[in-house]
Amino acid sequence: MFLVDVAPTMGKMRRVEMPGTKPGEVDVVEMTNLDWSLQFVMMKIQEMSELIVKQIYHGRKTEQCGVILFGSEETDNIINDENGGYENVKEYIPIGTPNAGTLAKLRELESSTTHGDPIDALIVGIETQNRHLGNKKTWTRKIVLLTDGENPIELEDWEATVKKMNALDIGLTIIGVDFDDEEFPFHEEDKSHVKRTNEEFFHKLAGSLNRGIVGNCDFALREVCRPDVKETRSAMLGTILRLGDVDARPEEAVEILCKTSKATAIQRPKSWKKFARRERHTDEEEGREPMQVDEDKTVFAQLRMRTEYYIERDKGEGEGPEAGGIETDTEDGEKKTHTVKVEKEQLVRGFKYGSSYAPCPDGQFPRLATRKGIDICGFFASKSFRREYAMSEVTYVWADTAQPLQQVALSALVQAMYEKGAMAIARWVTKDGSEPKMGVLQPVMFDQVDCLMFVRVCLVVMPFAEDVRNFPFPSLSNLVSKKGERITTHPYLPTQEQMEVMERFVDAMDLMDAGEKDEEGKRMPWFDTRLSYNPAIHRVKQAQFHAAVVTDLNTHPLPPPHPELTKYFDPPKRVLKRARGAIEQCKDRFRVREVPKKVARTRKDGHVRAQDEDDDTLLLDKVARRTKSSTQLVGTSQSQTLPTQSSQRAKKEKDESETESETEEEELLLDKKLIDGEALPTPAPEEPDRGQAPGRIIGSTYPLEDFKANMARGDVVTKAVGDLGAVIKEIVLRPFASRRSEEMVQCMRELRQASLEEDEIDAWNAFLRDLRTACLDDKPGNVEFWSSVQVEGRALSLISNSEASELGGKSDISESEAAEVCTPLSPRYYYYSRSAV
Amino acid sequence: MASYEDWNRIDEDEEEELEDASYYEGKKDVILFCIDCSPSMLELREHPKYENLQTCHLYTALEAAMNIEKRKVMVGPNDAVGIMLFNTTKRNESDGQSAEIKRGNFVYQPIETINAPNVQDVMRLLEAAKEDPNYLRETFPPMTEGRVPMGDVFTSCNWVIRDGAPKTATKRVFLVTDEDDPHPGAAKERLITTARTTLIDLVQAGVTVEPFFISTEEKPFSPSKFYSAVLLPTNVVDDDDAEGSILPESISIARVDELLAQMRIRELPKRAQFSVPFQLATDFTIGVKGYGLITEQKKGAYKYFVDLGDRMEVANSRTTYVDEDTQAEADKARILYGMELGATAESAEDEVGGMGLRIAPTDSRVFYTAEELRSFRTLGLDPMIKLLGFKKRSDLSFEDNIKHALFIYPDEMTYSGSKRTFTALLHTMIKKKKIGLVLAVTRRNATPQFCALLPQAEKVDEGGWHEPAGFHLIPLPFADDIRAAPVEESARASDELKDETRKFIDKLTIKTGAYNPDAFPNPALGYHNAQLEASAFREEFDPAAFEDRTIPKYDGMHKRAGTLIRAWKEALLQDESATMTIITAGSKRKADVSVDEAEIRSKYEVGTLEKLRVDQLKEFLKSRSQPVSGKKTELVDRVSEWLDKHP
Repeated sequence: MFLVDVAPTMGKMRRVEMPGTKPGEVDVVEMTNLDWSLQFVMMKIQEMSELIVKQIYHGRKTEQCGVILFGSEETDNIINDENGGYENVKEYIPIGTPNAGTLAKLRELESSTTHGDPIDALIVGIETQNRHLGNKKTWTRKIVLLTDGENPIELEDWEATVKKMNALDIGLTIIGVDFDDEEFPFHEEDKSHVKRTNEEFFHKLAGSLNRGIVGNCDFALREVCRPDVKETRSAMLGTILRLGDVDARPEEAVEILCKTSKATAIQRPKSWKKFARRERHTDEEEGREPMQVDEDKTVFAQLRMRTEYYIERDKGEGEGPEAGGIETDTEDGEKKTHTVKVEKEQLVRGFKYGSSYAPCPDGQFPRLATRKGIDICGFFASKSFRREYAMSEVTYVWADTAQPLQQVALSALVQAMYEKGAMAIARWVTKDGSEPKMGVLQPVMFDQVDCLMFVRVCLVVMPFAEDVRNFPFPSLSNLVSKKGERITTHPYLPTQEQMEVMERFVDAMDLMDAGEKDEEGKRMPWFDTRLSYNPAIHRVKQAQFHAAVVTDLNTHPLPPPHPELTKYFDPPKRVLKRARGAIEQCKDRFRVREVPKKVARTRKDGHVRAQDEDDDTLLLDKVARRTKSSTQLVGTSQSQTLPTQSSQRAKKEKDESETESETEEEELLLDKKLIDGEALPTPAPEEPDRGQAPGRIIGSTYPLEDFKANMARGDVVTKAVGDLGAVIKEIVLRPFASRRSEEMVQCMRELRQASLEEDEIDAWNAFLRDLRTACLDDKPGNVEFWSSVQVEGRALSLISNSEASELGGKSDISESEAAEVCTPLSPRYYYYSRSAV
Repeated sequence: MASYEDWNRIDEDEEEELEDASYYEGKKDVILFCIDCSPSMLELREHPKYENLQTCHLYTALEAAMNIEKRKVMVGPNDAVGIMLFNTTKRNESDGQSAEIKRGNFVYQPIETINAPNVQDVMRLLEAAKEDPNYLRETFPPMTEGRVPMGDVFTSCNWVIRDGAPKTATKRVFLVTDEDDPHPGAAKERLITTARTTLIDLVQAGVTVEPFFISTEEKPFSPSKFYSAVLLPTNVVDDDDAEGSILPESISIARVDELLAQMRIRELPKRAQFSVPFQLATDFTIGVKGYGLITEQKKGAYKYFVDLGDRMEVANSRTTYVDEDTQAEADKARILYGMELGATAESAEDEVGGMGLRIAPTDSRVFYTAEELRSFRTLGLDPMIKLLGFKKRSDLSFEDNIKHALFIYPDEMTYSGSKRTFTALLHTMIKKKKIGLVLAVTRRNATPQFCALLPQAEKVDEGGWHEPAGFHLIPLPFADDIRAAPVEESARASDELKDETRKFIDKLTIKTGAYNPDAFPNPALGYHNAQLEASAFREEFDPAAFEDRTIPKYDGMHKRAGTLIRAWKEALLQDESATMTIITAGSKRKADVSVDEAEIRSKYEVGTLEKLRVDQLKEFLKSRSQPVSGKKTELVDRVSEWLDKHP
């Protein structure tokens, strides 16, 4: 029973703090006290309401409610009908199972111009409830009174009411708007005299009741959102625990009748229904009668999922008469394919075996014949159990609850296993013919105060051979140099000093004594799975309730999550305080630096590669030397140079003293190039960007990837082709270009291919001619690079008309003209050309 | 068969929550087996298992390749495989692209999506080679003089892969050879250079080379002679583990029969499931990558085919969301989310459209957007792992488990210094016997999850395979996931009986080791795959030939503990508490349906089971955990059967 105060004071506007659209900000929403406190009623009603959220939350038919207003303009209640009096009390919603209409009616409530007496309402409430329930004893009677306590109460005879309520065992919850609450804590300044008196009275009233409580409305609203775990009683499923061959050697085999029930079961947030705004014109287009909806209303329709099946067919082939679907041309330009819709009835199930198929009309092959039960395969020492192998929810295995013999048998097994410290390997088949699962059985014993011992066995599904992936990972601590020696100091290996600070950190961040104090004043461990609520489940539930309660999410945004949900999101303050020093030391000693992210690029494998570190990193002694040498190579290392073997050799001869670091560096560079920007262990000077000139979409640092990424986007092809050409030319004409010639040739191949396919033939031909002039005729030029282009032969030649026409393009270059460019200059470039023709 | 309909269909909401299984299926994997065919590879030797049989390294390598093909086809039906042999005089017909293949290299199977005929081809070849040990030598005559430059081998690989592999696939070459010094002599330097250059080309084309070096006593393999100069520090091009100064990773196989085992380890390309920052404290963050080392391997999903008369074509499905009344398809980006409100709260409005409609004033908002939905689920957290603190190792209990663990490994490329910090943390935690407690959001749309961080020390075993160093990320159940124990009281055994039990448990305890997954191939999966294979090969499937290795080894068990179990059973019947009857308090009992087993048995022996009532039969069956469905005759049959089996 809800008793709601609708006196004018409840219509007072209040400012309610809501989480802002931006984090950290707070929006203030104005609403009346009435609206605000009604939210509580609606949430409560909703929680018990069956129709509204029947598919979701506790749907119970045995929860009913009614709403009585006091301070209403009209008077309409049973006592008034019979005896008169009890003015301004109105039975607004009769007692019944709440439904959507209940909420809607509540939403229409507005404050009145008069006021009513809460005690009157209380008496009406008791009477109404009592008549409705008659003398049914099984119902829990509750009355919730919502008021701001600003209106006078006639304080007489209330003791009689209390007596009656206690006799009927009615619980009363008084929820007061801006009532003082020391625990919350809340204290209202300049409280009116009436309210203060009333508050005192309410406390007295509640105190004299067996089940009475006064609360602050704000607090109550928050507590409605407190996560509560809906307890699911697991079904007990019968099964048989077997040891040995019960068929052939029954006298030597054991069968224990068991029941299983879930110990953990993943709960997921409730799903949402999908809606879409219905466009007005669709109705009219289809000749249907337009919906009679006011102009200022929008219709949302719920969506259903529909699955359609298509096959792709080449156009060249004959149209299959059997496929009665609609033909649609796909926008796929390259290959004209038809997508033909097929009806589900035409489809046959089957499995793929590579590119072959194996039809299988039933959707599966005959199953392996298995027999229900849990077979023990053997025992092993539980200390060698690998915790990370557990891969499922956990299940209890109990002995049959009605048969002592079975219980003793299982108990003996469990006790013996427990004593030995053993687990059992078991094969579990849930029902005849279903797939067997491997698991381990762990003995669990409960020792209670009365010395009864409860036993249970847990079962966790373990992986089969197929489920374990053995990926090779390089060793973390065992680094071997190229010479086959073990490396003991390396930026990848922690130093002794680092180990020490880490130890301090781990000690300081210990949670075993970071929790609440227990009865004896000893601190308990922080974090308990039994108190860790799934934030998603409860947040989604809160959001779903909220959306059902409010009419407009713009004016009534969702309040923040209950603090209970996020209490474990950060380490406890105590621990952080204790660890502050250790954390600072760790930061200082380990010098971890984020590697700046590259501009997002799409590469075919989707792998995101990282940049080098920034250069403000302080260096470990050992690597400082290297940095120096890497500095001189900066431009090239950053621009993905592939050092040619010859240049490496040349350097070697030139400066013997530098050789060691140099070769090492070269190797690093090489690797770096090959693994695409692996961060050097030694920090290298920062490369601020991808080397893109203003206005260009292709940078000079990773031109090929930029180009591919842009081509993949598809809408900037012409620009990409032009830019790559310009970038290639720039790089080729720079000093030390030979370091990148391999890469540039690669770029050109890609560029030519793209030009051919994307009909940028003229652009390619113009670029090639331009490049040739730049390399051969201009100063400084790059004759060598041009030679390596020529070595590529037709792969990098001008695009001839005949070649172009194959792909539907045009070119003004003849075949012979195109061929002319590909006379190699000198055979010594042979080694560069892997595809020499 | 409605249940199968739901198999492949995942509601969008859940989709985000479920493990990303499609991750592995979505990407194609291409393997080119590149097998040395030199005389030493063809040299006949005794078969390790069968007497009187001769085999050679090439045979083993081909057999391994065939087995990998057969396994891969189950895991990723879209994966492609090819086989190339080198150091053979056999040449491909010089037409088309194969003209690019260098001399001495022979493409036995070009790269193609794995298909039944190709697998059968290799099987036939191996069969023939088994019959006639010289068959392989005759089919692929080895080059007798000199060897093919490795540079040429890599170039040929490049061509083969370029022809056959789709661009987006992960491409790998499994190089099998027993020659550690293919190019002795004067030209060595030059040949090393070309080999390295061509290998770089290969790597740049996105191809990884995984070498398998066969090392035998007569012919030990030393990578330093040639390969360490050629192979790149780490061949994994799209991964993060290259170390400049560190010896390239290569696999030396001491015994040739380990080849398959080694290949199996590398069968799936190593792919990280996520790469997220790992925040140890504010402003103290390292980079880690997560891998699914243990994931349930399921049957391949069935597909729908259309019979086009001459061939079968796969039908693709497309899911759309439609407004059922208007049949209008909804634009995905404009879908809003809310609750179904039944007879909607808008009671004042006319419900013209019936169920599922909601009419709201135009300027008010009644639904959430997809973006808001995401924030409800993630609570606004970005993907990351955040350390909350440390607990004792023993605090991680057995029952706090809900799903499989993930493995995390440092990622130097997002945060430099990650490796040293990770290693320091790992060693410290192992030393102090600690586990970490973390809050993990592994993907953009995932719910924050509390996880235990279980350190794993590096362990190398004699076979060369090692357990990597890293952390296992074990998801902990939420309060919502934990179910109460429904049984509160039961009879317990006496100490004497427990001691009896110890006797046979001791006998049945596996002395060494613990649960070893390798000992238990999934029988249901194997049974399915065997049938699929038979169907694809158009062979008969023989169910009797299928061995289920998960069935307990009864003979051994009975031999060891049979008499002890018999004694235990006798002791059990003597136990006092076993004969005690339990008084179930409170609950009202229905008509007395309990029937004594002895009574039923006597009825059974004289054939008057029919005299019992159905509820009595059911009660009896129920107490024996037998199904209670069916007509009375079925129940009687079932009771008889049970009594038969349990004399």
